[in-house]
Parts: sequence; structure tokens; C-alpha cells
Amino acid sequence: MMSPEQRHEELAHLRRMRAISLIEGSTLLLLVLAAVPLKHLAGLAIATRIMGPIHGLAFLTYVWMLIQLVSGGGWSRPEIVRLAIAAFIPFGGFVNARVLARHQRLLAAP
Amino acid sequence: MMYLWLKALHVAAVLCWTGGLLTASVTIAARSTRLAGAASERTAAMEFLSRWDRRVTSPAMLVAWGAGLALAMQGQWFGSVWLTLKLAIVFALSALHAVLSGTLRRLAWSDAPSVPSWLRHVPFVIIAGVAVIATLVVVKPF
Repeated sequence: MMSPEQRHEELAHLRRMRAISLIEGSTLLLLVLAAVPLKHLAGLAIATRIMGPIHGLAFLTYVWMLIQLVSGGGWSRPEIVRLAIAAFIPFGGFVNARVLARHQRLLAAP
Repeated sequence: MMYLWLKALHVAAVLCWTGGLLTASVTIAARSTRLAGAASERTAAMEFLSRWDRRVTSPAMLVAWGAGLALAMQGQWFGSVWLTLKLAIVFALSALHAVLSGTLRRLAWSDAPSVPSWLRHVPFVIIAGVAVIATLVVVKPF
């Protein structure tokens, strides 16, 4: 049985995970839909030189938090696989954010 | 001058990070071999450690990463073999930290869940990793 403080901490953890999932998804979209075309169509290589490391850091942070989330337990294997694979797919970060929001609602329900 | 300040920040953050990492790993290893004391005391200890991890060890890891990347860029160290090897070990230590952090959260909830037996060896892996990193950074053999 979770104490109110533990429930609060878990909800905060899910909120952080959702935020990083949205950041990871957005930076991937910016990289694929804006920076890469700018590089190849307009010759602006600087676009990928900036967006590449930003997305890389966001992706690493997401992976770190995902390992932490999985080690904390309470997630089924299909959910874990979905959370991992969607991070590689454009718009996948937004799907992950919805999955995390559902868990957040379940945890917040009295 | 800025380089030295960054270096000091990086070393301070690394000390806090590895200290927290070792504490967490040793506590979890002790938990997997039956820690002495009442169940409620053990859970309370895990909760305290989990909070410490969230408020001190994890932010220290982020500062160590940030300052480390800034140092590597300022010093133009990217491309050196020693740094590439060091980064690989730091990735592994960061992943281990995520596992320990999640396990602490799980153990803070209740005393019931079992701990994977491989976690007993993690303190030695951390010590070996830190020793190799120190050697790579100080000696720069490659």
C-alpha cells in the first residue's frame, strides 16, 4: 500500500517522464522534418549540427528515465517494449506521453 | 580560467554522484542478502535513500554530464581514444544508476519484492569502472 507521500512522488516521476517523452518526440520531429531537409535542400548543415546533439541528449535522458521506470516495476512487458520502440519513431514520443498520462490518471484515482 | 572552474565543478559533481551510487548499490546488495533490522526499518531506510537519490545523486549525475561535455568541447578532447573509452564506461555507470534508482523506489514501497541477484556484484563493477576512468583521465594512455 502506497503512502500519500509515495503516491505524490510517483505522480511527480510520471509527470517528469511524460515531459521528457514530449521533448524527445518534439526534438525528433524538428530534426527529421526541419533540420535534415534544411541541410539537404538549402545546404544549411548547421541545422543538423545544432538539432542533432539536442535530440541526442533528449533521447539519452528518455532512455535513462525509461530504465529507471522499468526497474521500479509496475509495467507489463508489452508496455515496456512499446515505450522503448516508440522513442525511435517520429510522433512515437507523443504516443508514449498518452500511455504515461493513462498511468498517471490510474495512480491519481482514489 | 573557465576550464579550471568547469573541471572543479565536474570533479565535485562526480564525487557526489559516485558516492551516492556506491551507497545505493551497497545498500541494495545488503538487502539482497537479508539486511538486519525490522521490515519497517528496512523500508524506511530505502525510502530515505530513494529520496537522497532523487535530490542529490541524480542531479549530481546531470551536473557531471553537463560539465564533462563542456570540458570535452572546450579542451577539444572529442576524438581522443581515452575519452571515447571513458564515455562508454560513463554510459554503463549511468545505466546502472537508473537500475539502482528504480530498484530503490520499488524497495521503498514495500519490503516484499525480491532483488535480482546480479545486483550484489554492482558495487564491485562501480569501483572497477571508477578506477578505470580515473586511470584514463589522469594517465591518458591512448
